[in-house]
Amino acid sequence: MRIVIGEDLFLLREGLVRLLTAHGFEIAAAVGSAPELLRALVDERPDVGIVDVRLPPTHTDDGLRAALAARRQVPGLPVLVLSQYVEQLYARELLADQAGGVGYLLKDRVFNDETFTTAIRSVAAGGTVLDPEVVSKLMVRHSRTEPVTRLTPREREVLALMAEGRSNAAIGQRLFITEKAVSKHAAGIFAKLDLTPSEDDNRRVLAVLAYLGS
Amino acid sequence: MYYEFLVVTLVVWSYVLVAWCHRTAADPPAGADPPGADPPGAGTAGPAGLRGLIRARGWGLLLTPVALVYAALAEVNGGNHLGILAGVALAGIVMAFFPRLAATIVPYALLVLGAYGLVLAKWLHDGNNSQVLYGVVLAGAGSWRTHLVLPQAAVFFLAGLWLLLGVQAPGAEQVRALVAKWRHSGRGGIVPAQRWLLLPVVALLMELLGPHDWFGTDWITGAGVIDIDIVVGLASLVLVFRSRVWAATLAEAGLLVFGVYGLLILELGTVPPGFAYGLSALATTGGHLVISGLQGAVLLTLGLWLVPRVMVEHLVDPELAARAQQLTQRVESLTQTRSDAVDTAVSELRRIERDLHDGAQARLVALGMSLQAAERLFATSPAAALALVTEAKETSSRALADLRDLVRGIYPPVLADRGLADAIRALALDSPLHTVLDIDLPGEVEMPVASAVYFSVAEALANVSKHASARSVRIELSLAAGMLRAEVTDDGAGGADPARGTGLAGVERRLATFDGILAVSSPPGGPTIVVIEVPCALSSAKTSSC
Repeated sequence: MRIVIGEDLFLLREGLVRLLTAHGFEIAAAVGSAPELLRALVDERPDVGIVDVRLPPTHTDDGLRAALAARRQVPGLPVLVLSQYVEQLYARELLADQAGGVGYLLKDRVFNDETFTTAIRSVAAGGTVLDPEVVSKLMVRHSRTEPVTRLTPREREVLALMAEGRSNAAIGQRLFITEKAVSKHAAGIFAKLDLTPSEDDNRRVLAVLAYLGS
Repeated sequence: MYYEFLVVTLVVWSYVLVAWCHRTAADPPAGADPPGADPPGAGTAGPAGLRGLIRARGWGLLLTPVALVYAALAEVNGGNHLGILAGVALAGIVMAFFPRLAATIVPYALLVLGAYGLVLAKWLHDGNNSQVLYGVVLAGAGSWRTHLVLPQAAVFFLAGLWLLLGVQAPGAEQVRALVAKWRHSGRGGIVPAQRWLLLPVVALLMELLGPHDWFGTDWITGAGVIDIDIVVGLASLVLVFRSRVWAATLAEAGLLVFGVYGLLILELGTVPPGFAYGLSALATTGGHLVISGLQGAVLLTLGLWLVPRVMVEHLVDPELAARAQQLTQRVESLTQTRSDAVDTAVSELRRIERDLHDGAQARLVALGMSLQAAERLFATSPAAALALVTEAKETSSRALADLRDLVRGIYPPVLADRGLADAIRALALDSPLHTVLDIDLPGEVEMPVASAVYFSVAEALANVSKHASARSVRIELSLAAGMLRAEVTDDGAGGADPARGTGLAGVERRLATFDGILAVSSPPGGPTIVVIEVPCALSSAKTSSC
């Protein structure tokens, strides 16, 4: 699997390269600024671009902008955005095109190899992965509003994990329940929230996020 | 006598009417307009019918007697009374259909009448023996009533001035400003001796001009002349006490004029007979001429000496003094806000230092210790070492979370990345409340101001979710007339007291550094509105300046 990395801090860039190489990923390019990143993403067409939000030249949100620009040129180009902070505002912008193949994680999620590589593979496959911190904020926002209050605690846990972009199998593993039980909960959630059920994982995530983000 | 009776009756009745109108106008519920300030003919709240019509005429009702006096003045010697009837009828029409105009005419008519009285007094004094009806008296040479002309003129003049202010006639503001200026006794750095110079100047003026030119009598024997002297003397005394700068200015002008006058006498050697000039009776004899010249020189010198002092007062006094006062106040407020800003900055730094010390730093130490222990156990007990490494990883995650929270409190990342508008949007997204945004910001706000406004809005929003039991909140952000304005409105219970708690006080101090203000309106039952205003100029490009 070919990967382009956009990260300006040398230590972190090299750390990512080492980590990903160790897990069998192929690094197509590792660059340190937004213009280089945009060029690498468009030219290399990697399976996933791993992008730091804050990049030169202005050291603001250049990386995010470059990723969005690349996705405009190459629709659906999978991008996993890493940042020291997660902002719902940026999450919305990444999800706005509804095309999938988007991830948005805190940088320290890299510490957990398994979570991180799963996220990369999921994004590469066109899935949507959101940091639990973003999801918990979304959940807080709706915690007091109808009809989320009608969900059972277990259903709320499942909803949060669905919003993070996990598959039924992953959710079941996490909550120590069977995949079938997860499907049942998911169906209950979709019925209560009045959403159209979908077998396609990514469509399901987008529906949930669109609901929570409203 | 017939006219006098008629005029007196009309004046008295008109005045009674006017007074009655104003009294009833002041009664509730007719309205809270103060007497004199209610515009005649404005047709505001009041009873309908005749009473309302009369009340609406206000001071304009006095137009009838005033018109009568004018008409009588014009035709007292004529014999037929058509003019009087026409005058009164005209006044009635104006009063009935143009009440506002009538009220405006009255003060000016009274002023003109007063001025005419002065001329009339001199005219009668000069021996003209026609009979003239002035005010309520039929004055003529030899009649005792002639002595009532001057007092009446004064009464008319003062009444005119007073009404001018009362009916808000054009020019009232100027009169008021002049009076306010003159009544400012304490102002100016003129020393007492300088303003007291006005009195000898006035005395000299009366001596030179009063007797001969005006009344043709000797100042020692003419009783009327002495009256005038006393009036003018009193007026100048009032000036000396109430407005020292004006007194000194008049004194200075008088000294210059009279000084030149004395020198001219010496130069020309001719004088009108019977006049006096200071210490010297005016005559063409050599001694008197020399004394006149000397006096002139002294007066001129005094006048010249006074010029720069008065000039300074006039140049410095009104505007510069006000400006200096403004600057002083500004310096005081800047000193206060600067010290507040420094205090805030220092306590912020202390908080950051403490948070780092107890948070991230402590966790990094723990991390180091875990790794150290893992290193030691690595060979002997790999399983225990692995557990320690996992623990170290978690500790580093928590250290990062600490740092994230800290940085958010210092300068929120979205604010740094995107500026104020998006930072407020991000703030709204993070709020658990339902938030409606109305942001109209055509450019970038300078970073320090943006930061202050951001944290102010954040504090207001935090208060809403903590205390207001509100369901939704509306945030407006706009720029109008160089003022950046943020408004946070919730639909909560209201009754918030901005004096309680330290949050809003801190916000107020923070905003004061930028001359910004915070206002809270929170009636019981809501809604609570928090308004933040900071002077600020936007720039459409990134090169911002506030």
